Amino acid sequence: MTWDSFLWFAVPAMICWLSAGILIYLTSVKISYLLMLTGILIFTVFIAGLWIGQGRPPLRTLGETRLWYSFFLTTVGFITCKHWKYKWLLSYSAMIAIIFTCINIFKPEIHSKNLMPALQSYWFVPHVTVYILSYALFAAATIASFIQLSKLGKGNSNAQLYRLIDNLVYTGFGFLMLGMLIGCIWAKEAWGHYWSWDPKETWAFITAAAYLIYIHKRRQEKDFLITLWILPFAFLLLLITWIGVNYLPSAQGSVHVY
Amino acid sequence: MNQRSGRFWQYPWCYKESVAVVSGIIVVGFILQITTMAFDFSLLKYPVNLILGFLVLLFLFIFSFWRNRDFYKWFSGISFSVTLITALLLLALIMGLTPQTDSHLPSNASLHSILGFDRMVSSWPLVLIYFLTILSLGALIVRRIIAFQIKDYTFYLIHIGLWLILFASGLGAADRERYLMRVYEGEVEWRGLTDKNEIKELPVAIELNDFYMEVYPPSLAIIDRNTGIIQPENKPEFFAIDAQRPEGKLAGWTILFEKYIHQAVRNSDSSYHEVHMPGSSPAAKITAINSITAAEYSGWVCSGNVAQLYMTLNLDTNYCIAMMRPEPKRFVSDIHVYRKDKEVEHALLEVNKPYRAGAWIIYQHSYDEVAGNLSNYSEMELVYDPWLPFVYTGIFLLAAGALCLIWAGNKRKEARI
Repeated sequence: MTWDSFLWFAVPAMICWLSAGILIYLTSVKISYLLMLTGILIFTVFIAGLWIGQGRPPLRTLGETRLWYSFFLTTVGFITCKHWKYKWLLSYSAMIAIIFTCINIFKPEIHSKNLMPALQSYWFVPHVTVYILSYALFAAATIASFIQLSKLGKGNSNAQLYRLIDNLVYTGFGFLMLGMLIGCIWAKEAWGHYWSWDPKETWAFITAAAYLIYIHKRRQEKDFLITLWILPFAFLLLLITWIGVNYLPSAQGSVHVY
Repeated sequence: MNQRSGRFWQYPWCYKESVAVVSGIIVVGFILQITTMAFDFSLLKYPVNLILGFLVLLFLFIFSFWRNRDFYKWFSGISFSVTLITALLLLALIMGLTPQTDSHLPSNASLHSILGFDRMVSSWPLVLIYFLTILSLGALIVRRIIAFQIKDYTFYLIHIGLWLILFASGLGAADRERYLMRVYEGEVEWRGLTDKNEIKELPVAIELNDFYMEVYPPSLAIIDRNTGIIQPENKPEFFAIDAQRPEGKLAGWTILFEKYIHQAVRNSDSSYHEVHMPGSSPAAKITAINSITAAEYSGWVCSGNVAQLYMTLNLDTNYCIAMMRPEPKRFVSDIHVYRKDKEVEHALLEVNKPYRAGAWIIYQHSYDEVAGNLSNYSEMELVYDPWLPFVYTGIFLLAAGALCLIWAGNKRKEARI
């Protein structure tokens, strides 16, 4: 399978996700879960097909990264929604997954098919995959933080929601750390040093530091408004790390630019 | 958290005092930066780093007797750590937004350069805050180890792991050495080139028995015969050769593959045949059909190398189909490693597959890219890092802590709001 057949999978998957996101408020939750899973399954088939068709894991270009992002966002969104019974999370994750799928349809950044030797490593798939898991959890935490902020504005913040946010940030941070550590080990094997302050590394450090501030600040259980605002800010830094770095003047010559 | 009295510098200290202390240290850092121009990491070379490391541990030990004092609680507490992390974040933000140089001296007379913003890694403010973080985190770990609770295993894994990484990589930075070594086939080399292009004799010698590389099937493109520019000019198109796709489209032409030879050598009649030798090059017999005029051209294309000429298929007086240079799939150096008082070791070096010889790690770095497979030398990178085992221990602990964090999430049952 190649990118040529993407539309045949992307459109049905998006229809599934969209209807799941809407129907969860209208009909039974079960139907919406089923639709969500069907969408994920269709997407999985495409990723697997692309993997086989290209003869390498589809994890090299930004477009392929978006593919995994949609996949994990819907998967984690589904699991978390099922676990915490937050319907909005399913709708939001479905929506963001659809947006990323649309970017792939309308602006496919499909580069050369071959994987350069530096990328041929066992660490490649886990490195990117855990980052995407982490990004998806942080995205969900950001959405939840906005909802909590609006509740806080009305003077009735929700304890359950706080638990969800903290849980998302903790697990997201766990994945983020794994991603960085796997990256360190890989970097040591490929480039000779585990940390060289490459622009992408610098920004990964900045992102991790921002979430670290949130985690520690939360433990003080005061300044709730400031603490909550750290999350959207941290996510903005995460987006710069993920997408923005390629466009920064400081990143010319970065090993992470692709 | 105890209730604050609200008076500055009155215990318990909180953010006001933390910000004041951290800002003070940063200002001191900038003053040192302006006067000394850079933090010279070579000052930390062995045995200085070992002594400093010992002093840090000694400080943490002695300091621990004051662990019930307000100052200790503040120094190892959340307010101070949040302030320190924020300071690191801001300094890293400068690093992430401005281009960085390797030089230790100011690159120009701008304030930005004088303050060390263009070489943040070796700037005094970052080094001081980094060091303070090691002390603060260390003090926290000591306090929590004395009041040990097994249920806090995630805390211990993460904090001790991180501390080890910061401690060993910071102090070890000065001992880390890196050299490039170019070895010609059949020769032995023991001299390495430093980052500053100085030649140094190393305790490791390398003999290159053979260098070879494998390439991917290349792509085809339509190029302007006069300028060599790939068409369409504003949005170049490539067609990757793939055995599963014998037909494809390329800039208004349909391409049909008749034959692809990965290791081909040209015959006298300009056709190609398969020969497994270093000078061979990928070649393909193709037919191109114009989508509008239905004009049809057939022939061989070959990317060529230093041993044989390239071959293109002319479409008209302006354009032709050319085979791009193949991209490397893997390149391998077959080497022997000689070390003093050690047996001769044999290794196959590849990108992502370095060879470990004691505290030295040998990497496949580069080769003669013009000659490709015919390169008669291989460039290797030699890295010496005696502190690496400590860093790896830290990485292992931190990774274990990360897994615990993913598994259990936020374990606190009741969150106050």
